Amino acid sequence: MNSNTSKSEPDTIDPMLLSVMSNRVDGIVREMTSTLLRASRSAVIASARDMSCAIVTGDNELLASAESLPVHIFGSHLQTISMQQLHPDLAEGDAFLHNDPYMGNTHPADHTILIPVFFDGEHMFTVCSKAHQADTGNATPTTYAPYAKDVYEEGGLIFPCVRVQRNFTMVEDIVRMCRRRIRVPDQWYGDFLAAIGSCRVGERRLIEFCKKYGKDKVKTFIKQWLDYSERRATQAIKQLPRATIKHTGAHDPIPGLPQGIPINCTIDIDPDEGQIVIDLRDNIDCVPNGFNVCEACSINNSIAGVMNCLDPDIPRSGGIFRRVKVLLRDGGVIGRTTFPFSASIATTNVGDRLVNLTQSAMAQLGDGYGLAEGGVGMGAGWAVVSGKDFRHNGEPYINQIFVGGNGGPASPTSDGWLTYGIPVAAGLIYRDSIELLEVKHPLHMKSMRIQPGTSAPGKFRGAPGAELIYGPKKDTMTVAIPCDGQEFPPKGVNGGHDSPGARTFKVNLDGSEERLPGVTQIDLVPGEWLRGIDNSGGGYGHPFDRDPDRVLYDVAEKWETIERARDIYGVDVREDKSSQLGFAIDYPATTARRAALMGHAHD
Amino acid sequence: MKYKISVDTGGTFTDVVVQNELGQVFIGKSLTTPDRIFEGMLGALSAAADEMRIPVGELLTESGLLIYGTTRSTNAIIQGKTAKTAFITTAGFPDILVTREGGKFGTHDFSFDFPKPYIPRRYTYEIDERVSSEGEIVTPLNEAQARSVARQLVSEGFEAAAICLLWSIANPANEKRMGEILAEEAPGIAFSLSHVLVPIIREYRRASTTAIDASIKPLMQGHLREMQADLRAAGFRGNIFVSTSAGGCTHVDEIVEKPVHTVKSGPAMAPVAGRAFSDMEALGGDVIVCDTGGTTFDVGLVREGKLKYSRETWLGGQWMGHLTAMPSVDVRSVGAGGGSIAWLDDGGLLRVGPISAGSVPGPVCYGRGGDKPTVTDAAVVLGYIDPAYFLGGRMKLDIAAARAAIGELSARLEMSVEQAAEAIMKIANEHMINAIQDITVAEGFNPAEAVLVAGGGAGGLNIVPIARELGVKTVLVPRTAGALSASGMQFSDIVFEESANRVTTSDRFDRDRVNEALQDIDARLTQAASGLALASEAPSSREYTVEARYFTQVWELDAPLATSMFTSQGDVDDLVESFHRAHERVFAVRDETGKVECLNWRGRLTIGLGTKSIAPDGERPQASAIAATRPSFFDNDSVDVPIYKGTSLAVNSKIQGPAIIEEPTTTIVIYPGSTAWLTPSHNYLISL
Repeated sequence: MNSNTSKSEPDTIDPMLLSVMSNRVDGIVREMTSTLLRASRSAVIASARDMSCAIVTGDNELLASAESLPVHIFGSHLQTISMQQLHPDLAEGDAFLHNDPYMGNTHPADHTILIPVFFDGEHMFTVCSKAHQADTGNATPTTYAPYAKDVYEEGGLIFPCVRVQRNFTMVEDIVRMCRRRIRVPDQWYGDFLAAIGSCRVGERRLIEFCKKYGKDKVKTFIKQWLDYSERRATQAIKQLPRATIKHTGAHDPIPGLPQGIPINCTIDIDPDEGQIVIDLRDNIDCVPNGFNVCEACSINNSIAGVMNCLDPDIPRSGGIFRRVKVLLRDGGVIGRTTFPFSASIATTNVGDRLVNLTQSAMAQLGDGYGLAEGGVGMGAGWAVVSGKDFRHNGEPYINQIFVGGNGGPASPTSDGWLTYGIPVAAGLIYRDSIELLEVKHPLHMKSMRIQPGTSAPGKFRGAPGAELIYGPKKDTMTVAIPCDGQEFPPKGVNGGHDSPGARTFKVNLDGSEERLPGVTQIDLVPGEWLRGIDNSGGGYGHPFDRDPDRVLYDVAEKWETIERARDIYGVDVREDKSSQLGFAIDYPATTARRAALMGHAHD
Repeated sequence: MKYKISVDTGGTFTDVVVQNELGQVFIGKSLTTPDRIFEGMLGALSAAADEMRIPVGELLTESGLLIYGTTRSTNAIIQGKTAKTAFITTAGFPDILVTREGGKFGTHDFSFDFPKPYIPRRYTYEIDERVSSEGEIVTPLNEAQARSVARQLVSEGFEAAAICLLWSIANPANEKRMGEILAEEAPGIAFSLSHVLVPIIREYRRASTTAIDASIKPLMQGHLREMQADLRAAGFRGNIFVSTSAGGCTHVDEIVEKPVHTVKSGPAMAPVAGRAFSDMEALGGDVIVCDTGGTTFDVGLVREGKLKYSRETWLGGQWMGHLTAMPSVDVRSVGAGGGSIAWLDDGGLLRVGPISAGSVPGPVCYGRGGDKPTVTDAAVVLGYIDPAYFLGGRMKLDIAAARAAIGELSARLEMSVEQAAEAIMKIANEHMINAIQDITVAEGFNPAEAVLVAGGGAGGLNIVPIARELGVKTVLVPRTAGALSASGMQFSDIVFEESANRVTTSDRFDRDRVNEALQDIDARLTQAASGLALASEAPSSREYTVEARYFTQVWELDAPLATSMFTSQGDVDDLVESFHRAHERVFAVRDETGKVECLNWRGRLTIGLGTKSIAPDGERPQASAIAATRPSFFDNDSVDVPIYKGTSLAVNSKIQGPAIIEEPTTTIVIYPGSTAWLTPSHNYLISL
C-alpha cells in the first residue's frame, strides 16, 4: 500500500481536504458573526441579530456565509466589485464603509464594513460585516423612510465604499462626519467598532489559513469549493419538473399607489441543464418613494425564495449564482434602482414580497413543491421608537424594536415557524426580551400574546401572528411603522388559506380605538397605546387533509378553537377530561363531516 | 475516615472512584439500575472494593465523604418524564416559554415544526399583576385570582409550579406573595420562584430555568432522599454531597431546594478533572479538556487555573431545546463521536455526522445490525482498535463487516478502504477542532499556549492529530481517562453561588447600593456554608464577579472584581479596567471612552475539600514490554506498530510513535512523530 494509489492530481485537492477547508472557512464566518453580535450596542444588531458576515474571494465570488441572513449576503460580491473598481490602491490595513444601494449594498441603513485580506502581497479575500444601524442620519428618526421621494429627502449619509481605515489607522474625518449626523453617536460608534473588530478577526484567521495551506492550495480549494456548490445546486434543480411559471404579487396600497405595488416574475426551470432563470424585468418603473428594491435585494430575495424550496444543505456560495440566474433591468421597481430614487426600505416590504413571490411560485409545480407565503409587515412589534428618556436626564433614544411575531409559511411537510419574523429574516433573527426592551427604552409593554384561531389553515398551517400592546411611560414617544400585509395578506398555496391579515390600532386616552394605515408614523402620549396584530403565514394544502391529531393538539394547546376545527378542518374535537390533552376526536363524526364538507365544496 | 467515594451515575454505566488514605484511586464500574439507583451504585462500589481487597461493607462504613453525580435530571428533561408542572406568569404574557428568544438553524430549511414549549400553553396561568422596569408596582397582585388558580392546580392534579413574573428581579413582592398563596392553598405542590433561583434580566431565560427547576423538584427530592436512606441503611455514616453544573458539589438540602443545579453536572466535572491532572503534572493553568463519548464530543476550558462559566446551557440543542441560565461550567458539545456516520452527499463530498448510530444499532463492527460506516469502524479498519480487546475484551468487534461498509464508500470515492477510513477520521477531527476553536480562539484564547487533556473511551484515538492542528504542544491522557467525570468529583470543592441584580453605570456608580448587594451576597454565602461541619476545617475563598457591558450594549461579559467593598473611585476605576480587558480579549476592541453598565453581581464561596492529587496505583515493571504488534495505517502507509498494555509500561519510559497503548477503558494512538511518556503519577504525557 502506498500513496500512488490516490487519484489526486497536483492541481486538485481530495474531497477530504475540501471538506476540512470548507469547515474551516465557515468556522471563520461564525467567529466574525459572534464578534459582531456580542460587541454591538444597538438592540437591532445585538439583540435582534439583524446583521451578517461573509467571505468573498479576491475575484469577487461569495465563498462562505454560515448562518447569515440571505437578504444580506447573496449580493456581497457586488460590494467587493465596487471596492476594487473604486480603489486601485487597495492595501493591507484598509477598511471601507459601504452602504450605497446603487453600488451593491442592500439599503442605506445597512452599514457594511469591507476589509481586503492580503497574503504574500496578493488580495486573496474580502471579509464583509454588515449590520442594520439603529440610525443613519435620515431626515426623520427612522432607518426606514417609506415616503422619501428620493435619496435627498431620505436624507441619510450615503458612503459609496469610503475608506475608513488606512494602514490599520482610523480615518477620523469620516468618524467625525458620522458622529455629527447620526443620532445617538456613541451607539453608532460602538456598532462601527464592533463591525471593524469582526472583520479584523476574520482577516487574522484567513491569514493563518493561507499560512497553513499555502497560497496555491487555498486557490485550488476556492475553485473546487465553488464547483462543488455549483454541482449541488445542479443536482437539486435536476430533480425538479421542467416548467415555466408566471406569478404575481403585490405590496399593500400606499399613498400615491392606491392599487399597491404589483410585482411579477417568470421562473424558467430547466432540469436538463440544471438551471433556473428568474426573470424580474416585467415590473413597473421605479416609484417616487423608499420602496424600490435595489440590485442586491432583487438578487438576494428572489434567489432566497427559490433556495427555500431546494435541498437546504446546498452550500450558500457563489456556485448557486452559476445555476440560478436573475434577469433585472435598469430602473425597475425591482431591479437596478435609478439614482436618486430611494431604496430606503428595499430589504423588507417589497423585498419581503419578492421572497414570497418566488417561493410560492414554486408551489405551482404541485403538492410537495414550494412554500406558502410567509407573514409580512413590520408592524407594531418592529417599530422604530424614539424620544427622550426621563431615566437618563432626558437623553435621546432611537432604536428598532424586535418583538413582532409574524408567523412563518407552511411547507409541504411542516407547520409554519412561529418566530419567523419576516420573509427576509426567516426565523434567524432574535426576539427582544420584554424586560430588556423596557430597560432600554422608556416604554411599557401591556401585553404580548398569540390569540387562538389566528393562523391560516391548511394541511399544514401557517404560524399565527402575535397581538401586542404598548405605549410610552412618561414622555411622548414617536413610533414609525413601515407595515405591510394589511390589505393583501400573505397567501396560502395548493388549497391552504390566506392569513387574516395584519392590523394596527391606536388606543386613545378614552379607550376608543382607531385603525391606523399600514405605513404610519405617530406620536403617542402617556396613556395612549399602540395595538398591533401581526400576520400569520399562509397555509399549505387543503385543511381537510390535515392530520386530525394535529388539529386535536392545536385545540388543546389553544392554537385553534373547537369551532374552527369543526368548520374549517372538518374535525370534531370534544372536551374529554380523561385524556391527557383534555380533548379527544370523535372519529366517526369527523369522517362524516369531512365527507359532507367535501361534497359541499364540490357542488 | 479512610476513604472518599465519588459516584457518577450515567445513563448506561455507574462509575465509582474511591480514594484511600494513601491517595491511591480505584475504579469500579457497573450497569446503572434506573429503578433503584443504589443497586447499581452498590455494584460499582463492590467492584472498587474488590480492587482494594476489602469488603464493600468496610468501604461504606469507613468512608467520610461520598460525592454523588447524576444524569437523572438531565435524562428526565430530555425524555419529558418530569412532573406535571404549571407555569404562572404575569397577565398579558402567557407565551414567554413559547416564543423564546428566536433563532433557528437551517436558513432555507422549512421541513421541521417549531419546537414545543417546555410547559404546554394549556398549563399556563396568567395572574393580574405588574411591576415596572423601575420596580414600581403598577398593578398589585390580584390575591383572589391567585387563590383560585392555586386551588385549580390542586384539582387539576399538578405536582409542581414555576412562578416567573415580569420584573420580579426589580421588586419581588408580587412573586413572593404568589408563592405564599400557593404554599397555603396547595401545600403538596412543589414550586420555584424565579427571583430566588436565578435573579437575571430577560424573562425567557429566567422562566425557562425556573420551569426546569420546578419540573424536576418532586422527582429529585424523592430520588435523593431515597438514595440517602439506602446509603445510611447500608452503613454509610459520612457526608453526602451532590455534584453540580457549577463544577463543585454541595449538600443534599441545597440540591433538594434547587435541583436545576444537577442538570448537566456530569460533563461539568471533566474540566475539573482536567485542571487537577494538569496541576498534578505541573503543566500550568491553561487547559483544554476534551471528553469523547459515543455520540458527542464535549470540550471545556480552564484559563489561568479558573473554570470557564456560561449562563446559556441548552438541553436538546440550541434554539430547539430548552435553556437553563444557571452559571454552569461552559462545556460545548458537538455531535461527533465514535458512532458518527460517514456518508457521501449528492455533490460527491464525504461527510461525517451529525447523524449517529448511537449505541443501538451502533457501529457496523458491533454486529448489532448497524450497516452505516462510523468513526469507530474507521478506527478498527485502520488498526487503531483491537477488535479482540474492545472494552477490555468484553466485546468482540467484526472487522470484516467494518471493512465492507467503508468499502462501499471508498469504491464511490475511487480510494482504497484505508484511505477512506483515514478520510473519515480526519473529517471527524475537523468537527472536533472547530468545537475547540469555538470555545478558545473565538474568545481570544490561544490553544497553542495550553495543555490539552483528553478523556473518554474514544478520546485517545485521534487526540494527537487534533492537538497538532490546533498548535498544541502537549497532550495529557490521565490514567482515569475512561472515567473522567467521576474522577473530577474527587477533585471538586464545595461551591456556593449567590447573586443579586443592581444596575449601575461607571460614571454614576452607586457605591452604596452595590456594597449593600455584595454584603447581602456575602451573608447568604455564610448562611449556606454554616450548616457544614466539614467547612470549618477546610480552607475557603470568596470570589466576586460582575456581569457588565458598555452602556447600550446588549450582551454582558463577566469581569472579575478585585474587591467586595467599593470604598473609593480607585476601586471603581479598577472595575472599569477589568471590564475593558475582558472586552478586548473577547472582541478585539476596547472603548476607552465608553461607560460601563453593571447589571448582575455574583459571589462564589469555595470550600477546598477537593483532593489535590492522586498517588500512583501500585508497582510498575522496570522495563516496558511490547504485548504484540499489529498493522496500522498512518498517512496511507501500513506499519506494524507495537501494542503496549498500560500496566506493563515502566515509569518514565518513552514510547515513540507509531505505537498504540491499550488501557482497559481507553486506547491511545501515538501517531508517527509523537512521543508518549508515562509519568511517575502514571498518566500519559504526549509531545507532538
